[in-house]
Amino acid sequence: MTQIEWRPEFSIGIADVDYEHQELIAWINRTLVASLDAAGDRSAVTDLLGEVFAKVSAHFALEERVMRDQGYDQLTEHKRDHELLLDDIRDIMDDFESGGDLVEERFATRLSEWFGLHFRTYDARFHHRMSGA
Amino acid sequence: MNFLKRLIRGGFERLESGLDAVCGPRLNPLVQLGALGWLLFWLITISGIYLYIFFDTGVTQAYASVEDLTHKQWWAGGILRSIHRYASDGLVVVTFVHMLREFGMDRLRGVRWFAWVTGLLLIGFIYVCGITGYWMVWDQLAQYVALTTSRWLDALPIFAEPISRNFVNNAGLSGRFFSLMAFVHIAAPLLMLLFMWVHIQRYSHARVYPARNLTIATVVALLALSLVEPALSQGAANLDELAASVGLDWFYLAFYPLMDAVGPGGLWALSLGFLLVMAILPWAPPLRRPAPAVVHLDNCNGCARCFDDCPYSAITMQPRSDGAAFSQEAVVDPDLCVSCGICAGACPTATPFRRATALVPGIELPEHGIAALRDRVTSACQGLAGKPGVLVFRCEHGADVAQPSTGAAAVIDVPCAGMVPPSFIDLVITRHMASGVMLAGCHETGCYQRLGTEWTSRRVAATRDPYLRQRIPRERVALSWASSVQQDARSAAVEQFVASLGGLAEVAPHRPVPAEGQLQAAWQAPARRWPGWLRWPLQALLLAGAMWPLGFLSARPEVVLRGENEAVVTLTFSHAGRPLQECRKQTPEELAKLPPNMRRPVDCARGRWPVYIELELDGRQVFAGTEEPAGLWNDGPSSLFERFPVPAGPRQAVVRLRDSGRESGFDYSATASLDLRPGQNLVVEFRQPGGFTFR
Repeated sequence: MTQIEWRPEFSIGIADVDYEHQELIAWINRTLVASLDAAGDRSAVTDLLGEVFAKVSAHFALEERVMRDQGYDQLTEHKRDHELLLDDIRDIMDDFESGGDLVEERFATRLSEWFGLHFRTYDARFHHRMSGA
Repeated sequence: MNFLKRLIRGGFERLESGLDAVCGPRLNPLVQLGALGWLLFWLITISGIYLYIFFDTGVTQAYASVEDLTHKQWWAGGILRSIHRYASDGLVVVTFVHMLREFGMDRLRGVRWFAWVTGLLLIGFIYVCGITGYWMVWDQLAQYVALTTSRWLDALPIFAEPISRNFVNNAGLSGRFFSLMAFVHIAAPLLMLLFMWVHIQRYSHARVYPARNLTIATVVALLALSLVEPALSQGAANLDELAASVGLDWFYLAFYPLMDAVGPGGLWALSLGFLLVMAILPWAPPLRRPAPAVVHLDNCNGCARCFDDCPYSAITMQPRSDGAAFSQEAVVDPDLCVSCGICAGACPTATPFRRATALVPGIELPEHGIAALRDRVTSACQGLAGKPGVLVFRCEHGADVAQPSTGAAAVIDVPCAGMVPPSFIDLVITRHMASGVMLAGCHETGCYQRLGTEWTSRRVAATRDPYLRQRIPRERVALSWASSVQQDARSAAVEQFVASLGGLAEVAPHRPVPAEGQLQAAWQAPARRWPGWLRWPLQALLLAGAMWPLGFLSARPEVVLRGENEAVVTLTFSHAGRPLQECRKQTPEELAKLPPNMRRPVDCARGRWPVYIELELDGRQVFAGTEEPAGLWNDGPSSLFERFPVPAGPRQAVVRLRDSGRESGFDYSATASLDLRPGQNLVVEFRQPGGFTFR
C-alpha cells in the first residue's frame, strides 16, 4: 500500500514546518491503516479524516504565515494550491460519509501525489529561497 | 444608567438607520466619527501651517497680519483661515457626538476604559488649542478671551501675580505674550496628536481615515462654508476700551458667559466635576464580562491568524513556552480581551469535522466554546427536522431573527458573527443539516466588535483567512447586517433568503472550483436605499445642515459685555506689604556664634503684612478687600485685579490702601474727579514709588 514515508529531502529547513509535515504524515498513515481494515469501523475513518483535515488546515495556516513573514514571492500560487487540496480532502470526506469507498485510490493517491509535488516544487523552492540558494 | 444608555443607543441606531437609507452604510458619518475627527485634525493642521507662515507675533502685528491674511489674500489665507476655524468647530461636534455614541453603545466599560479616559484628555487639548487660537488673533473677541481666561486661571492658587495684570491696558501689553501664545498653540496640537495615537493604541486596524467620498464631501462642504461665511476678526483689541458686545464661538467658548453666573471657582468646579464624573463612568458600574479567550497550546501551532484578526490587540505572538517544535504561540492579555470570540472564528483547528480528538481549538472563549457551538448547531438543526429551514448565527448586538412565514429558522446567538469559523458553514451545508446558513451581524459598518462584520464578509468571500471553502455554493450562504433597530430589514432578509432557497438544486458533490475571481458573492438582501435622484439632493441637504450650525454658532449669538451707557473701572496693584518685623542689626557677639558664611549684619524676618485696599465712587464703597502676600513664607507681593462696571459720566473716586500693621487709618490714599466715557476702561493702579494713578 501507498503509505507516505518521511524522507530527509522533504525537509525545508524550518523546524516548525518540518515537524508538522512529519506529524501530518503520521496522521495520514493512521487514516490509511484504519481504512484498509475492512472489518473496521467506518466512523473511525470519518473521525480520522476530520482530524487530518484540521491538521492540514492548521499546517497550511502556519506555512502561509511563515511565507508571508519571509516575503515568499510565490505565496499566492502556493496558497491557491493549499485551498485546492483542502477542498479535495473535504470532497473525499463527503464521499466517504455518503457511503462511497475511500481510500486507497483517491485519498492516498491524491495526498501522496500532492505531497510529492508539493515538496518537490513549492516547499523546495521556498526552502532554496530561504537558504539563499 | 442603563436606561440612559439604551435611550441614547436607540436614538443613534435610528439615526444611523436613516442615514444608511440616504448615504449607505459605507458613507454613514455616524459610524466613523473617530476617523472624521482625525480628518478634521489634519485639515486644521495643514491650514494652520499655512496661516502660521503669515502670522506675526506682536501687539499690533498679530491683528494686522491676520487682517492681511483674511482680506489681501482671501483666495488662500482667507479660505484657509475659515477652514481652520470651521474644521476646529467641527472637531468639537464630532468629538462630543463620538463620546455620546460610545457611551450609548456602552463601549467604555471594561477593557475600553482606556480609550474613554484618553479621549477625555483629548477634549482638554482641543479646548487649549481652541482658546489659544482665538486669543492670538488679538481682536475684540481675543480681548474677551484673554480677560476671561486670565480670570479663570487666576482662581487657581498657583500664580504669584494674577495673569490678568498682563492685560491692564494697551501700554502694559507685551509682544512676547504673542510668542507664548503661538508656542502653546503649536505645542498643544503636537501633544494632542501624541495622545490621539495613544487613544487608539488598544485597537488594531484603527480607523483613522473616513471613507473617501465622505472625506471629499467634508472638504468640499467646509470650502463652501468658507466662501459663504468667511471667518473674520471682530475689530482690533483695545484694552483701554470695552466693546459693548462680542460674537462668541459657542463651540469653544460657551462656558465663558457661564463664568459670570458662577464665578471662576464655580466654573473650575463645574468643568473638573464634569471631567471627574466622565472619568469614573467606565466603572459605574464595573463591567462583568464573560471570561477572556484562552489558548490551548496542544492545538496552537503559532499560525497567528487570531493575532491578525483580534480587533483589540489583545493577542501577541510570543516564543514557544511548552517545548513543542513550533517557534511561536498565541498569548492573550486578559486585560485587553473583550471576549468577542473573533479569534476562535479565525483558528484553523476550530473545525467541526474533528472527531478523533476532542474539539479543542487553539484559541476560544471558555463560555462560548467551539465544541459547545458544534453541539448547539447539531441540536438547532435537528429542530429544523426536515423542514426547508435555515440556520442563523445571530450576533447578540444586532437585530433579532423572527420565524419566516414559510420554512423555519434555527437561531444560535453568538457574541459576534466573527466567532463562527467558516468550516461550520461548510459542515451545515454539505451535510444537509439546513438548506442555508445566514450570518446575521449587527450594523454593517458600525460593528459592535469593530471588525466582526468585515472579517466575516471577507472570510465568506474567500479573501481573508480562514476562507469558506470555494466549493460551498454561495447562494446558500447569506450575510445580513442589521443593528438592533433595523428589525424590519432583518425580518425581510430572513424571509427572502428562505424563499430564495426553495428553487435551488441539491448541493452536488464534486462541484467544480470556481475559476480565479469567479467566486459568486454570498446572498444579501437588496440594499434598502432611497433612489439616487432623491439621495443626492438629500446628501447635499444633510451636509448643508451639518455646516450651517458651524457657520452660525462660530460667531453668533453675541454676548453683551456691558450696558449701553456703562464704563469699566479696573482696580489693580502688585505691591509688597511692609515686613512684619523691622530689620535688626545683629550684635558682634551674635555674629560670632554663627558660621562665617552665614554672618549677615542685618537680620530680617521674611513675612509681610497683607495689603488692604478700598475704592469709593461718589461716596459709595465699590470694593474693599485684604490681599494676602504671595509665596510659601508670605514674603511675596500682594496683588489684585478687579473690574467693576460703572455708569458713565462724572464720578468722584477715592482710593485708600494700608500696607502696614496699623489698626486704623491708611498708609496711602488718593482722590480724583473722573469723567467716564461709555466703554472706557479706567485703570486705578497703585505702584511704589509713585502711588495711585488714574488712567
